[in-house]
Amino acid sequence: MNVRAHMSMLFHLDKCIGCHTCSVACKNLWTDRKGAEYMWWNNVETRPGAGYPTQWEDQAHYQGGWELRGDKLRLRLHSRAGGILKLFFNPSLPDLEDYYEPFTFRYQDLFTAPQGDDQPTAPPVSLITGQPIEIKSGPNWDDDLGGSGVYARNDPALEGLAEETRAQLQELERLVFNYLPRICNHCLNPACVAACPSGAIYKRAEDGVVLVNENKCRAWRMCVAACPYKKVYYNWSTGKSEKCILCFPRLETGQAPACAHSCVGRIRYMGVLLYDADCIPEAAMVPDEQLVEAQRQVILDPFDPQVIAAAQANGIDAGWIEAAQKSPAYRFVKEWQLALPLHPEFRTMVMMYYIPPLSPVVSVLEESLFRLDLSEGASDFELFDRLDAARLPVQYLANLFSAGQEEVIRQVLRKLLGVRVYMRRKTVDNQVDEATLQGLAEAGLTPEQAEDIYRLTTQPSLEERFVLPPYHREMAVEAWKDPLAHKGEAGLGYIQAPRRGE
Amino acid sequence: MNSRREIIPITYRLAPALLLAGALLLASAYLASAGPLAQTADEGRAIFEQKCQACHTIGGGRLVGPDLQSVTTRRERAWLLSFIGTPDRMLAQGDPIATQLLAENNNVPMPNLGLTQSEVESLLAYLENPAGAGQATTQPQAPTQVLPPGNYARGWKLFTGEVALVGGGPPCMGCHNVGGIGRYGGGSLGPDLTQVYSRLGEPGLTSALANFPFPTMAAVFTGKALDPQEQADLLVFFAQVDAQGQAMPPAVFDRYFWFWGLTGMALLFAGMVIFWPRQRLSISEALRRKR
Repeated sequence: MNVRAHMSMLFHLDKCIGCHTCSVACKNLWTDRKGAEYMWWNNVETRPGAGYPTQWEDQAHYQGGWELRGDKLRLRLHSRAGGILKLFFNPSLPDLEDYYEPFTFRYQDLFTAPQGDDQPTAPPVSLITGQPIEIKSGPNWDDDLGGSGVYARNDPALEGLAEETRAQLQELERLVFNYLPRICNHCLNPACVAACPSGAIYKRAEDGVVLVNENKCRAWRMCVAACPYKKVYYNWSTGKSEKCILCFPRLETGQAPACAHSCVGRIRYMGVLLYDADCIPEAAMVPDEQLVEAQRQVILDPFDPQVIAAAQANGIDAGWIEAAQKSPAYRFVKEWQLALPLHPEFRTMVMMYYIPPLSPVVSVLEESLFRLDLSEGASDFELFDRLDAARLPVQYLANLFSAGQEEVIRQVLRKLLGVRVYMRRKTVDNQVDEATLQGLAEAGLTPEQAEDIYRLTTQPSLEERFVLPPYHREMAVEAWKDPLAHKGEAGLGYIQAPRRGE
Repeated sequence: MNSRREIIPITYRLAPALLLAGALLLASAYLASAGPLAQTADEGRAIFEQKCQACHTIGGGRLVGPDLQSVTTRRERAWLLSFIGTPDRMLAQGDPIATQLLAENNNVPMPNLGLTQSEVESLLAYLENPAGAGQATTQPQAPTQVLPPGNYARGWKLFTGEVALVGGGPPCMGCHNVGGIGRYGGGSLGPDLTQVYSRLGEPGLTSALANFPFPTMAAVFTGKALDPQEQADLLVFFAQVDAQGQAMPPAVFDRYFWFWGLTGMALLFAGMVIFWPRQRLSISEALRRKR
């Protein structure tokens, strides 16, 4: 057992209101620079939708992630020899049009326009060329049904859905959408690391953050093409690749990442997961239907004495093990099995997890009026036995979170519904009837667990949402720098001596 | 007072140095004037055998260039000095004798052999009295008699490189052309050799094939001399090419070359017209257009 620790983020999609505060916080902090205008290390997508970059999930086009060929895991992008052939022209690379051309508005025109009959306007200009442009798309152009006739209709995750279900998603009275915030998944089996010809990308040992070494990056951009989530970006100004760093400077000082910290809906949780690094190859190579379960198996129980001993043997600090025990990520992912990885079929073993959203039942047409298709009687359980009546098709959620395995999604949705019905009985009716308890048991939860899920979902404190381990940078730095080396010296000195021409 | 006392010792101290400098000047002037005198006709003979013999004889008749017997009495010494040293410059300046010589020798100019002034001096010392310098070299050339009978077909193959030269030298065609050879003709680095047989004459060409008295060729063929059979074959080849001369058909590839070149380019552009606009169509743009 090779126990390692990982900082993991968890998204409770039922709580996301799609306000993009996370994206803006991230942009202001990290990508408000020349060459990074088009980058959104954190973005929020409206689904069904084409996403950002457009149709990023379409790996037939972008060639991202891993592919199980026979008994070997191969990069979909290229073999080693093929990589050399494509070194100088990689057709799988998304171009700026696939993201969007970043723009701003010439606000001075509002003040300097000559007097006329019309209100002056601020015309849009490209942030790259400075020339006036016609805005064609943005980081979430298909937001809230805008252009859904183009984008939502062409969501790659709708693949395999029946034609009538797809048509129903386009009907005004049955429209449905939810939000999908995305950051780098800091995978256990990252395709970007595997594809980099310069060896510039690495996964940090202490918390699993995947980072680009900007000094070693040689702008081959294989990482951009190989990442199935398209979360590595190329900075055209510096000629280096950049990506989400999970705000590690914040983590190291005991703060949650900016996106999680600023989250208005408080949908994000941060916590440590202990995992067995030796199990990664096996777990990444199971058939599609076992992927979610295999990934759960890689995550270890932080209360198991054997795991604790192995973790200590691997040099994991006691503070980290304690954080792992309190981790909300562990509870949602492993203990309650509510959180799922995004697109496990890409086989990169993502470490960011999502709790899929519930949705209302579809409407039915009755005397030329639409009404919710509720069953008579127990309306609480409207969806419990009829998950197929949910507006967001289970198949669609399965395409997103369980490699098409509907049963995995059904289990999660049943648990979420069970908790909801149980708590409604308890707080509204003041008594829990037998049917509710039975429903909860069928979903695989005890009343205590339901209470815990309810509390951590609705009323968590900041410390419960973000259980950040002590990084002990002051001790870690001693590994390569002697803190007493400059004792008694005068002056400020230089960490890196300045050189002419830099 | 003080300064005056110092000046005198300085001049005293300088005196030996000045004397030494004067002595050195005198010595070098003597050496410089004595230089040519010190050269022997032996050195001149060595230079002659090394650099001149390919084109000239002394009393052996003309080869590529004229017989040099008693040349020192025919021409003025000053003219000889500058002509042997820099024949190319003399010709460029339009020296009447040099121009006349060029016309007399089938328009084959004498190359600049890169001799220094003192080397030319010793060469002249040798030419003044060839018999006095070691053994006589009046008959350096009798190669025509030694050469075996040549073969035109093999000469063709040697010229084109179909048969490699034994010594390892590059085939003639790499740098030279003869009328009507090959589809695209020969190289254009060296002169056209169609008329070389009549231009140099048989003895001259024989000698040239044996020694390559041209600076560029001498460098290329150092240690890669042609063997007698190859020389004979090429000689026959050149003789025949010269005889056919203009009768050989001129190269006709030009028409086809341009035709296929332009047709190929047109096809390439036609293919690009089909594929180019679609190549840069982004996936989102494709979505918008599909609608």
